Amino acid sequence: MSTTSAVRPSTTGRKDYGYSNARVRGMRARLLNRSFYDTLIEARDIQQMIQELTSTGYGPDLEEVLIKGRDAAVVDEALKNNLVRTYRKILGFLNDEGRGLATTLLGRWDVFNIKTILRGKHMRLPAEEVGESLVPAGQLSEIELNAMLAQDDVKSAIDAAVTLGLPYAAALRYGIGEYAKTGELAGLELSLDRHYAEWATKRLSRRGANAAIARRILGTQIDIVNLLTVFRMQKADIESLDVAQFHLPGGLAIGADLFEEVAGMSDVDQVLDRLRNTMYGPALEDAAMKYIEVNSLSVFERALEDHLIRKVTLSGVHDPLGVGVVVSYLTAKQNEITNLRIIVKGKSIGMPVERVREELILV
Amino acid sequence: MVPALALAEEAAPEAPVDWRVAVGRAVAAGFAMAVSALAAGYAQAKIGSAGAGTLAERPEVSIWIITLQALPEIIVLLGFVSAIMINAS
Repeated sequence: MSTTSAVRPSTTGRKDYGYSNARVRGMRARLLNRSFYDTLIEARDIQQMIQELTSTGYGPDLEEVLIKGRDAAVVDEALKNNLVRTYRKILGFLNDEGRGLATTLLGRWDVFNIKTILRGKHMRLPAEEVGESLVPAGQLSEIELNAMLAQDDVKSAIDAAVTLGLPYAAALRYGIGEYAKTGELAGLELSLDRHYAEWATKRLSRRGANAAIARRILGTQIDIVNLLTVFRMQKADIESLDVAQFHLPGGLAIGADLFEEVAGMSDVDQVLDRLRNTMYGPALEDAAMKYIEVNSLSVFERALEDHLIRKVTLSGVHDPLGVGVVVSYLTAKQNEITNLRIIVKGKSIGMPVERVREELILV
Repeated sequence: MVPALALAEEAAPEAPVDWRVAVGRAVAAGFAMAVSALAAGYAQAKIGSAGAGTLAERPEVSIWIITLQALPEIIVLLGFVSAIMINAS
């Protein structure tokens, strides 16, 4: 983590995307292509991978951290630093409206970071280890995240968030009661997800084509979280639970009624059959065959993530004068970092080349 | 007799231009110039901001950006020529 400043969303002001879109298109031209991924996959060892990456835009970030060593963890840190630096750079030159929309969509990184800290505290992991997993690409700064990270347990971390007045403090305070009672993080995490879904939906509810683009992306993200909840419920005993409480509002296709209907179904086939006519039908059908082979719900998670990345990345192509170009790049960049991390980590643990290739999402 | 007639034709005075026509031509020429200049300015502003963004990330395309930045000048040149033609007609 190399950045310390927080970016708070703004909702009003200038709406000219000429400068920012041209700049982002210039940055997009530097995204890595398939042949580079192939070169990296075929590299002999981590040294050669570092050498290849140093010749790209990741060079400065790698040089900053290589003093700590030359292993996969160091490369991972450089990649994350690059992601955060790139996001901050874009938010720095975006106009007021674009910054507000992008920051709202990047808010899911805050949810990811807070969940990571809470899970780390819950499992009593060392702060350094948890800190390595954080990606301060949202509203919360590195300082604010570190303040939570420095606490001893979940309750203290939440107290720190409340004291600092962080945007998610109210949601955390709301969920702490159930955590104290049950000792499980599920309630807290649901509270966080719900807070983000409601906050972001409200922020994107204003009129205008740019807000509509951001709303569609957020709606898809929320739908995917709801669908993953449904799939997880297939493997859990939910008869005694009120499934409606797990539904997040603001989705595009998975409303509360459909959610309750599919959550109550007895097997995955029924769920897939019911979802066939929704926008997620094709992606889920493609994954269904693989699910039969491996019998793991992670294939649906992967298929939905793939669907989201493709949809968002390609949406910006048709919106040269709006926020679509920027949002599309943010997603494409994140996907590039994810692909690089898969290659570097996969190769470092001896994953077969074909398996590494399968894991990549190439748009 | 014939030379005297010829001289009389050359000396014939021009018909006076109606002042309303003269004012109309001047206004039309000014309008053509103003609109084309504003249009060129608008186009250059848009190209300029986009060009600055591109140059910040890809300085190697500077020649293209300068060329694109100069292109809208044609609009104002056409406006200028139109204004002259309106005034001269």
